[in-house]
Amino acid sequence: MPRAAASSDRRQTFFSRLLEEHARVFFFSLGKLWQNPAGTLLTALVIGITLALPAGLHALINNVDKLSYSWEGAAQSSLFLKDSVSAERGKDLARELNARPGVARTTYISRDQALAEFRKLSGFGEALDILDNNPLPAVITVTPMHKQSRDEINALVTDLSNLPEVDMAKLDQKWLERLYGIIDLLQRGVMVIAVLLSLAVIVTVANTIRLDIQARREEIIVMKLIGAPNSFIRRPFLYTGLWYGFTGSVVALIFVGVGMAALTGPVQNLAGLYESNFSLSGLSFFAVLQVFGAGIVLGWLGAFLTVSRHLSKIEPH
Amino acid sequence: MTDIIQFHDVSHRYEGGHDVLSHVSFSVKQGEMVFLTGASGAGKSTILRLVALIARATRGQVHVHGQTLASVKPRHIPAYRQRLGLVFQDFNLLNDRTVFDNVALPLIIRGHSHRDVGRQVRAALDQVDLLNKEKVYPLTLSGGEQQRVGIARAVVTKPDLILADEPTGNLDPEMAHEVMRIFERFNQVGVSVLVATHAIDLIKAMPHRMIHLEHGRISMKVPLSVRHAGDFPYA
Ligand SMILES: Nc1ncnc2c1ncn2[C@@H]1O[C@H](COP(=O)(O)OP(=O)(O)OP(=O)(O)O)[C@@H](O)[C@H]1O
Ligand SMILES: [Mg+2]
Repeated sequence: MPRAAASSDRRQTFFSRLLEEHARVFFFSLGKLWQNPAGTLLTALVIGITLALPAGLHALINNVDKLSYSWEGAAQSSLFLKDSVSAERGKDLARELNARPGVARTTYISRDQALAEFRKLSGFGEALDILDNNPLPAVITVTPMHKQSRDEINALVTDLSNLPEVDMAKLDQKWLERLYGIIDLLQRGVMVIAVLLSLAVIVTVANTIRLDIQARREEIIVMKLIGAPNSFIRRPFLYTGLWYGFTGSVVALIFVGVGMAALTGPVQNLAGLYESNFSLSGLSFFAVLQVFGAGIVLGWLGAFLTVSRHLSKIEPH
Repeated sequence: MTDIIQFHDVSHRYEGGHDVLSHVSFSVKQGEMVFLTGASGAGKSTILRLVALIARATRGQVHVHGQTLASVKPRHIPAYRQRLGLVFQDFNLLNDRTVFDNVALPLIIRGHSHRDVGRQVRAALDQVDLLNKEKVYPLTLSGGEQQRVGIARAVVTKPDLILADEPTGNLDPEMAHEVMRIFERFNQVGVSVLVATHAIDLIKAMPHRMIHLEHGRISMKVPLSVRHAGDFPYA
C-alpha cells in the first residue's frame, strides 16, 4: 500500500511540475513576443491574411448556399396524370397528397382547365379548335414544404412519380440544380485554397522561428552546456509558433468580420429590392473555433518542423 | 579516496588537424582541487571539453564519476552534463534575463518546483555574495560580478564536480583572486574542482595540485607535497 501511494504521489508531483513548466513557457514565450510587438504583429498579419482568405470565402459560399435554399421554397413540382385517371380521382389524389409529410400545398388542374389556361396564355386559341380532343393531361402541382434539404425534396418527387396515377413528375428547378453544382465546385475550390494556404502558414511560421533560432544561437548553446535536453530548448519555440498561430487567427477573424460588416449594408439593400428578407450571416461559432484550431495547429506544426531540423545542428564546440 | 576524473592515455585531434592532446593520463580525486596550466594552445580547454562531453577522445579512455564517457549516448549527454558545474571565461550568461533567472535556469531544466527554485537560487547567490543583485541584468554588473553569477549558476544544483575554463581570464587581479577564493570555499566543503588557467601568479600561493601541459602532453605534475613546501617550479 505505501509503495502504491508513494508512486501515485510521485506521479502527481511529476504532472504538476510538468504543468507548472508548461505554464511558465506559455507565458515566457508570450512575453518574448510582447517584447517585439512590431515583428509579432507583422507575422500575425501575414498569417491573418492567409487564414482570412479561405475563412472569408467559406462564409460567402455559405451565404450563397443559404440564399439558394430560401429560393428552393418557390420550387414547384408538376405531376402529369395518366389519361385513364378520372377527374374525381384526380381531385381526391390532390387532397391525399396534401396530407403527405413534406408537402405544403397541392392544386388540381383538370384537363379542361389546363386547355383553357393554355388557350389564354399561348394565343393559339382558334388553332386549338381544329383538334378533335384535348391533348393536355390533368396536372397536380405540388409545393414542397419549406426547410427541406435538396435530397428530401428529390426523394419526395421520386415517390410521387411512382404513384400509379402519375404518368410523369417534373421538378421545375434545373437552374437551382446548376447553382448547387456551382456551389459544390466552389466549396471544393475553397478547400484546395485552404490546403495551399495552410502550407503557406506553416512556411511563414517556420521561417520566422528559423530566424528566431538563429538569433538565439548563443543562448541555445549555453542551455545545452548546462545540461538542457532538446525537449526543454524546443518548448519555448513551439509555444511561440502556437502564439503566432493564435494571433494570426485573431487577425483573420477581424478581417472577415470587417469584410462582412462592409457587405451587410449593400446586401440588405439588394435583398430589399428583391423583396427578400435575406441577411448576410457571419462565421458560425463552429467556424470561429475552426479558424482558431487551424491557426494554433499550423503555427505549432511550423515551429515543430523547423526546430526539429535546426536544433540538433547547434552544438557547443 | 576514489577518482572523480580519470584520463587513460587519451589523445584527441579535431577534425582534419593534428593531435592536440597525445597520451594524456592523469586523475582528479574526489574532493580535490586541481589546476590545469600551460601556454595558449597547449590543450587545457580540450581536456575540459572532453570531461564535459563537448568533444570525445579520439583514443584512450576518459572516466568521470566512474562512468566510461565513450559509452554515453548523445541523447544522454544532457543528463550527464547536469551532474557537472561549468564555469566559462566569458561567463556565458543570458543577457536578456535577470541574475535570478540565470541562476534559476539549471533548476528549471531539472524540473524543480517553483518554491524550491527561489530558495536554492538565493542560497547560491548568497554563497557568491550577490544576494542584493538578483533583480538586475548581467550587463549592468562588473566582470567579477558576472563571473560570480556564472559560478552561482554552476553550483546551484550542488554538483560534486566543478569545471572552470580560465574563469579569471577576463578579470582584473583583485577580482580574479576573489573568484579563486570562491572556488576554494566550495572545495573545502567537498566539491572537486578542476580549473584551467594561465594565471600562474595568482595560483602560485594556492596549495593545490597542478598539472602542466605543453603541446598536448603533460610535462609536469606538481604534487601537493611540493606545493605545501612552498616550492614553485616556475621562477
Ligand atoms: N574546434 C577546433 N577545431 C580545430 N582545432 C582546434 C579547435 N579548438 C581548438 N583547436 C586547437 O587545439 C589546440 C588546443 O586548443 P585548446 O583550446 O585546448 O588550448 P588551450 O590550452 O585552452 O589554449 P588557451 O589558453 O588559448 O585557451 C590549439 O592548437 C587549437 O588551435
Ligand atoms: Mg582554452
